[in-house]
Amino acid sequence: MTTALAVQHLAKSYGKKNAVRDVSFQIQEGEIFGLMGMNGAGKTTVLRMLATLLKPDSGDALIAGHSIVKHPEEVRACISYLPDEAGAYKTMTGKNYLAFIAGLYFKSEQEQKECASLGEQICGLGDALSQKINTYSRGMTRKLVLARTVMTKPKLAILDEPTSGLDVLNSLDIRRTIRRCAEEYGTAFLLSSHHMQEVFTTADRGAIMKDGAFLAEGTPQELLEQYGAETLEEAFEKAVQNS
Amino acid sequence: MKNLLRKELSELFNTQMLLGLLVSFILIVMLGFVMTSTVSESMEISSEVHIIDQDQTGFTQQIADYLEEQGYLVKKISENSETPAYETILKEQNWKEAVVLPSGLMDQLFFQHEPCELHTIRVLETTSTVAMMETGESSAELVQNAISVLLTKNFLGESMTFLENPISLASYTVANGKTVRANSFSVVSSMAMFDQLMPLILFMLIILTSQTIITAIGSEKTDKTLETLLSSPVPRSVIIGAKMLSSLIVALVYAAVYGVGFATSLLFTVDRTAENVNISEAFSDILATQQATQELGLQISGIGWGGVIIQLLLTIGIALTAATILGGFAEDAKSSQTASLPIVILTMFPYILSMVSDIRNMERPVRILLYLIPFTHTFTATGCLRFGQTGTFLGGMIYQAVFLVGMIFCALKLYQSDILFVHSFGKKSAK
Repeated sequence: MTTALAVQHLAKSYGKKNAVRDVSFQIQEGEIFGLMGMNGAGKTTVLRMLATLLKPDSGDALIAGHSIVKHPEEVRACISYLPDEAGAYKTMTGKNYLAFIAGLYFKSEQEQKECASLGEQICGLGDALSQKINTYSRGMTRKLVLARTVMTKPKLAILDEPTSGLDVLNSLDIRRTIRRCAEEYGTAFLLSSHHMQEVFTTADRGAIMKDGAFLAEGTPQELLEQYGAETLEEAFEKAVQNS
Repeated sequence: MKNLLRKELSELFNTQMLLGLLVSFILIVMLGFVMTSTVSESMEISSEVHIIDQDQTGFTQQIADYLEEQGYLVKKISENSETPAYETILKEQNWKEAVVLPSGLMDQLFFQHEPCELHTIRVLETTSTVAMMETGESSAELVQNAISVLLTKNFLGESMTFLENPISLASYTVANGKTVRANSFSVVSSMAMFDQLMPLILFMLIILTSQTIITAIGSEKTDKTLETLLSSPVPRSVIIGAKMLSSLIVALVYAAVYGVGFATSLLFTVDRTAENVNISEAFSDILATQQATQELGLQISGIGWGGVIIQLLLTIGIALTAATILGGFAEDAKSSQTASLPIVILTMFPYILSMVSDIRNMERPVRILLYLIPFTHTFTATGCLRFGQTGTFLGGMIYQAVFLVGMIFCALKLYQSDILFVHSFGKKSAK
């Protein structure tokens, strides 16, 4: 299996605050990796560094073999980033939005059409795609932006709190879509969440973060065994208390 | 109610708002100071009466004495030449205007009982509003009035036709070292039509386009669409370029609409005025003024207008780039207003000053300070070209070009760095 992401000793600070401290991990092609942690644990900073929006103070990460420090342009062609509570251009229709994003990633019209068409299938919004985005509910917008994240079939999709603020049914839909895309397109997923259940049901592996560092890393089962816990919430609580 | 009021006030009176308020206060005070000194200067000038005495008789001395009795400061020089070079005399005396008492004045009025023509000369250095106010015939009118009073005293009880209108005025305008028989007010008016319209349109364009781009970037930050764009494979220079180009197109649409709107309004005014005047007279007046403007070297050549358009584009480019940079620091759409404040102030300051005063002839330190603001050069561009300050005009253009390149470099650096996501007007984000 090919390594989609290899993070090596990544660190970032804001002034005196160390947001991320010496974080290293790997994600394989088609694998879903969940970052768990409380607010302010450093999850978003890790994700933003990998999305080439923030520059690490030290360390590096290779995405499909490209360094985020030395070759951010090449990295951007291999990734897709979905920020926390990301919106879309409200004056566009869903269809136009997907076509616009496809235009950012592909040069040929044929590729753009195929990409946008895939996005339309993935989001499952049907006729609503012809409506303007400002008429969409929160769940619909989230499905649309998730579709645009995965429709380009990136090597690595970076999702920050993909289901935050969504109801149970919409959350389930989003998780199934992530799972399906990982299996069908071999896209590696790195998602952050403070919902343990989400990570438990969606991710193949995960890590618990606190104060910018990893406390534990492994499959959900390994994490449960490591802390002698019955649920991931319990494992998380013990990990945080023991640190 | 009390709690709600406190909450509303605490939201409105934030640090950004107070900072903006403080900066605005300081600048308004500074603006007031400069404007006050300008007005005082013109008031001081208007209490002086400058006379070029070619007659050199007791009567011309009586005129001077009478005006001094009225509280005016009379500065009178004797001139023996019949056809003096007015531009040289005014330059030597450092006068902006003067009245000529012609040779034979006393003889004509007192012995031949015939009306006499006085020459009133005005140096034109600017086309600003203040210049328009100053180009009145106040000194000439004062001398005219003094002559009427003195004649009435002298010919008390006598009935003579020439006493009804003993003095007529002939206006001369001095500019660019040349003197032409023309009313300076008409000359200024013919140029002010454009020289005051263009800065107004430019002022509105800068404010509108910078607000548009800052708000657009602020909204992208709020919706997190900026993060999506910046993490896409499209080069960041292309993303910034597209934003600036779209704003430029919007600016040009605005400029076209404003330009056509103002031009229509002016044509309508001219059309309505023409209904009430003799067309042929009005037309010949316009032609005479046009000719005077040309003879004085006040007309701008085609190349000059090309330069003005380049300066306009450079100015809009600077405003757009500055807005792109400031928009990057705007935390969200709400803080966009505060983010645009520096551009608003830096545009408003030279604009208002160029309307009420002549920046080109201000004290050197103030002038240098104002010329450091790149927008100032466009507000003074037509003035520089009309009054032969080509060097200042070209220097301004080069400065603007260098400034723009520097700003584009800064914008590119900013959007290639992570400052956008770390700093935003005093706030540090760390998630």
